[in-house]
Amino acid sequence: MSTQQSLSPARPESPDTAAPPQDRGDWALSWHGVKTVATLELRQRVRSTRWKIALVVWFVVVGGITLLTSGALSFMTGYDDSDVQQGPIIFGAVVFFVLFLGLLVAPTLSASAINGDRNAGTLATLQVTLLTAAEIVVGKLVAAWSAALAFLVVSVPFIAWALVAGGVSFLSLVTTVLLLAVLLAVVCAIGLGFSALTTKTSGSAVLTYLTVAGLTVVSLILFGLTTPLVTYQTEIRAWAVADDHDWESDEIPECEWQTFESPQTHTELTWWLLAVNPFVIVADAAPETTVSDDEEYFSASDPLSLIRTGVRVARMGPQAEQDWCGAYEPGYVSPVENPEIDDSPVWPWGLGANLLLGAGGVVLAVRRLRIPSGKLPRGTRVA
Amino acid sequence: MHRAFGSVRAVAGVDLVARPGRVTALVGPNGSGKTTLLLILAGLLTPDAGTVRVAGSDPVTQSFATRARTGWMPDAFGTWDSLTAREVLTTFAAAYRLPAAVGAARATELLALVHLEEYADRPASVLSRGQKQRLGLARALVHDPDVLLLDEPASGLDPRSRVDLRVLVRELAARGKTVLISSHVLTELDEMADDAVFLSRGRTVASETVGEAATTRRTWRVRALDPFALHAWLTGAGVPFAVEPDGAALVDLDSDTSAAALLRDAVVAGVPVVASAPAGGILEQAYLALEEERR
Repeated sequence: MSTQQSLSPARPESPDTAAPPQDRGDWALSWHGVKTVATLELRQRVRSTRWKIALVVWFVVVGGITLLTSGALSFMTGYDDSDVQQGPIIFGAVVFFVLFLGLLVAPTLSASAINGDRNAGTLATLQVTLLTAAEIVVGKLVAAWSAALAFLVVSVPFIAWALVAGGVSFLSLVTTVLLLAVLLAVVCAIGLGFSALTTKTSGSAVLTYLTVAGLTVVSLILFGLTTPLVTYQTEIRAWAVADDHDWESDEIPECEWQTFESPQTHTELTWWLLAVNPFVIVADAAPETTVSDDEEYFSASDPLSLIRTGVRVARMGPQAEQDWCGAYEPGYVSPVENPEIDDSPVWPWGLGANLLLGAGGVVLAVRRLRIPSGKLPRGTRVA
Repeated sequence: MHRAFGSVRAVAGVDLVARPGRVTALVGPNGSGKTTLLLILAGLLTPDAGTVRVAGSDPVTQSFATRARTGWMPDAFGTWDSLTAREVLTTFAAAYRLPAAVGAARATELLALVHLEEYADRPASVLSRGQKQRLGLARALVHDPDVLLLDEPASGLDPRSRVDLRVLVRELAARGKTVLISSHVLTELDEMADDAVFLSRGRTVASETVGEAATTRRTWRVRALDPFALHAWLTGAGVPFAVEPDGAALVDLDSDTSAAALLRDAVVAGVPVVASAPAGGILEQAYLALEEERR
């Protein structure tokens, strides 16, 4: 070791590189800053975790599920030449499975990004540099999202498998994968927000998982449990058997228009509980499968189409005119028209709500990372 | 060029000026507010009241300008374990918006400066505590700051690195930087610092230059081959003294001049003096004196 020490100025004299730093707000974003943080995070992450193993396991699991799904389908439909198209069913099953696993993995990628750094004592040293709070947060989000996307990319071959099986358009594949990517970004952003909020990494992970569970499972349960609350006496017109019909006789019952007070479930009040569900968003946004000749809506029997129809029917609520009379005689023609299902998509509402949650996470994280801060996060040293 | 001034009520009344080209020591017991003060100066915390100027700008309202010119080395910090030492430095260079080429050159230079060349391309997790400390110092210097805030920089360093740190800090001060350094290893600060600020329970209790401290009254330790001859001579000369277990005498003297005179007289009188030196460092004595005053 030499004792001779010298230091040259870091700022070179040449004017082109010595741009004086301008005052930038907490929300100022630059590609340079975001890239610096994202590179740092990814380097740290890729080297410190068993990254390749995780991807291989993922590939094997998703591949296995795809194989089993298509195998089971062939078994069930193997004996008749029914026109059940396997493509949409495989597509729906694989997409949901990938989304399910993605929702499990994404929180772990971001939920310790900020409090983990704070505990390790690396956050404050970054905060005092010329990076803005927004650059640190967005950089971390980009890194977590890229990691999540790696899992999605590994799954694409199996989603594409459904294309080969037929009945699924290429457009479906593209829009669905894009939507999955956006939803994963939302979960990463929510995790980031919680990791800025809590001191312990376990706390933020739990909160993120609870939020994801709230969006996917709890909302569904709530939709079911609120059914009694939204079921109340409603006046409807019904095409029903006349009151004076003598049921002892052999006469064919006559039907007439009557007005009833009847308990009806007003799901048009609670359909949004379904709409915020990531699974519903993906299902609703997937382009309609190319159902062969049959025009009728309900003929599409793949999971995505069923959910799409279900949520859109729920949005309409009970019908004002109902047929309580049908099927008493062959060749019967109901005077009540088949309900026209509202074709306007549900997913923009759900996606909007999810994006708002994600944006909330980012805003919260940025506000928490602003310096100088008024108070210390409880129980932590700043460094 | 630069002035740092603070009067921060959040720490309960600190008033200090660190001048460019000088090393200012921040001395105080554990929990006296040293670290909090440095956090405020680094721009991480807002003071509840009072004004702070670092390098001429307010860390609260002109956070960005202040951060561009301040290098902060926290007392406890981590490194990204998976990154190499070089990557840590280039990442920080990028975070300070240095062009990539400049950042890479700067990283190489700083690694040489803190003697971490051989660890440059190994992950930071293999570094020992002292080596991490040196890497932390290099990191604080990446953007060539005008103001350096060093929180316990010497803890965990081996003797060689301490000497290097001292030389480096002096060199930085010689180049006009303002260095504020906190430590409770006072003898070490003696050799580094120009000024000293004493903190206690969040307030400045004294502020003096190390030169001044040398002229204040303090205790000298005089040792002779024959302790009894020394004691006899001191008694004869009418100098009050205390005796240590090994026979050395502790004498209170008001200045270096008196110490020189005492030594000369003793030698002339034939006392076989072996050593005569201040008992403890300059800052240590000043610090202990302050502690006593408060009691």
